[in-house]
Amino acid sequence: MVVAALMAVAALLFGATGAAADSTSSNSAVEGKTFVIGTDTTFAPFEFRDSSGELTGIDIDILKAIAEDQGFNVQIRSLGFNAALQALSSDQVDGVIAGMSITDERKQVYDFSEPYFDSGVQMAVAESNDDVSSYEDLKGKTVAAKTGAEGEAFAKSIAKKYGFTVKSLDQSASMYELVKSGNAVAVFDDYPVLAYGVAQDNGLKIVTDKEPGGSYGFAVNKGKNADLLAAFNDGLAKLKASGKYDEILDSYLADPKAAQPTTFWQLLGNSLPALLKGLQNTLVVTGISFVVAMVIGMAAGFMKIARNVVLRGIATTFVNIFRGTPLLLWAFMFYFGIPQLTGQPINIWVAAVLTLSLNSGAYVAEIVRGGIQSVDPGQLEASRSLGLGYGKSMQKVVVPQAFKIMTPSLINQLIIMLKDSSLLLAIGFAELLYQGQQIYAANFRVTETLLIVGVIYFVAVMLLTKLANFADRRFNK
Amino acid sequence: MSTSTTDTTGQPKIQVRGLRKSFGSNEVLQGIDAEVAEGEVVCVIGPSGSGKSTFLRCLNKLEDISGGHVVVDGFDLADPKVDINEVRRHIGMVFQHFNLFPHMTVAENVMLAPVELKKASKAEARKQALELLTRVGLAEKADARPAALSGGQKQRVAIARALAMNPDIMLFDEATSALDPEMVGEVLQVIRDLAQTGMTLVLVTHEMGFAREVGDRVIFMADGVVCEEGTPDQLFGNPQQARTREFLSKVL
Repeated sequence: MVVAALMAVAALLFGATGAAADSTSSNSAVEGKTFVIGTDTTFAPFEFRDSSGELTGIDIDILKAIAEDQGFNVQIRSLGFNAALQALSSDQVDGVIAGMSITDERKQVYDFSEPYFDSGVQMAVAESNDDVSSYEDLKGKTVAAKTGAEGEAFAKSIAKKYGFTVKSLDQSASMYELVKSGNAVAVFDDYPVLAYGVAQDNGLKIVTDKEPGGSYGFAVNKGKNADLLAAFNDGLAKLKASGKYDEILDSYLADPKAAQPTTFWQLLGNSLPALLKGLQNTLVVTGISFVVAMVIGMAAGFMKIARNVVLRGIATTFVNIFRGTPLLLWAFMFYFGIPQLTGQPINIWVAAVLTLSLNSGAYVAEIVRGGIQSVDPGQLEASRSLGLGYGKSMQKVVVPQAFKIMTPSLINQLIIMLKDSSLLLAIGFAELLYQGQQIYAANFRVTETLLIVGVIYFVAVMLLTKLANFADRRFNK
Repeated sequence: MSTSTTDTTGQPKIQVRGLRKSFGSNEVLQGIDAEVAEGEVVCVIGPSGSGKSTFLRCLNKLEDISGGHVVVDGFDLADPKVDINEVRRHIGMVFQHFNLFPHMTVAENVMLAPVELKKASKAEARKQALELLTRVGLAEKADARPAALSGGQKQRVAIARALAMNPDIMLFDEATSALDPEMVGEVLQVIRDLAQTGMTLVLVTHEMGFAREVGDRVIFMADGVVCEEGTPDQLFGNPQQARTREFLSKVL
């Protein structure tokens, strides 16, 4: 984050001249520095997780090779295509490499490197589908394309002419599933992606020739990180000259059939470490968020029953806002929206905990209020008539009874939170379902992977429920 | 309470002047004047809705006072500067529905105030609680939960709890109204014993026979005012007001 800020200042100070000077000299401007680079989660062969859970792909290899050549370090965040671009706009990352086509529209907001790959769009259909082999066969049908990608732009440009509908999705694997399940008849995607997927037995076949398409570029935020951009261009030129560039491409495109798990048990064995890491993140973020939500919810719940109109108003407003808006909106808001307003990047854990705990806090507040109000008012009167003050009476008499009433609802809230934490995958938080996506994005074993993820969630929730009920019986005798 | 105020011999223990209480636009107490002397047993009777329970609840400020004054041991409860928690330690209260704390044992119910307010040790408080429970005949139930008790037993525990801070005034708000008839006697017996100790008691009650037997004085309330008061013999034997006669003719 400090580096990003320094780079931003440097870019402002030296502007374009700095960049021009750097491209010809040795790259002392970036040497030894660490840049955070955003990328897609699922764009094999440009970026995907190999069977050991390591991020790999053409983009990753090129970026690492350039970084090595130019002497800077990269920290790669696989956020998803749209999330990566939003992160770039909000300076959460210094650059994005995500098989992204260079378009005039994007040039308005980002600065691009020299093209590092020339792509093109192809159409693929389900292996068993012999009815669709050209654009003409698409009349009245639905096709899938990737949001914001070249394939989507091309599909939309011919949709009217051939009379089909385009359904845009965020991930390659989801598009392929859509086609295999028959909800779409064809998919338009960049040729290396399709070729790689078909080679991995993703159940599709390519039926059209490559449409001449755009070129992929590495992007930085407009007017920022000029040094990094210059270093990328310089490194890319050297890579091409040395033949290393072709070597990387060939390793993915010429013989892409990597060792993939064949049986379910192999898949399970390969994916389990990554999934358990995801489960750990899920449990930790849920645990922290629940504690914070309890504190927030207790405070807001007591404020809601306060005599003071201002306190009541604050609590009611808080509850209404967070109950009345989707969780996902707040995830985006905290991770992408607010950093753009403040100019201050936010740690993904902070954004995740804020999202979950504020949302849950609103529900906990209502549970607390309801719990306290359901205790017979005679209890408070009896305690007050003994001479105990309001606070003491609440603490000794009302809250213990209210807590007993609240416990089942709180356990419920905890379980809802654990499952809702999966929504955090949208901002690239590496929780359980996100890890699952990463795995099937690379091996296209969608159903089996989701099944494994589902079982892990189910077992986690069952164990949590048992534990909570045990605690309930233990403490609320 | 400081000795300077408790020593005001001759001054009534409780003095109520022009007490008014409204719930919204509904004025339940419309100017009550009453006095209770030290050691006196006063029974408050009257038809339902007459405001007698509200009157009693004003005596320890469970209800906020809308107008007038309630002076207990020299402390005016209408004065916001008076520490009501301090005053309440000297006034025990027993409710119609017992209001025992269900999450505590019988002994813990009785011990709560001494432990929290007098900072008594658990052992001391328990010893005192057992004495009080013996007094109401329930020592063997000390470690039971309130849910395991009969109505009469619950009310006797509630009385023991109210006595735990050694109050000099006890307020009873229809203490036997929620009880099955066969349990009324055991509770009345405990109250009767209390009256004989010389404690100041104010009872809102429907037990006319008991009021006549135990009360030093009876106050008849109707429509938010004190309609008539006097000794039990005067009020029950020779009521002066038509409203009193009408009420007594229905309940006796």
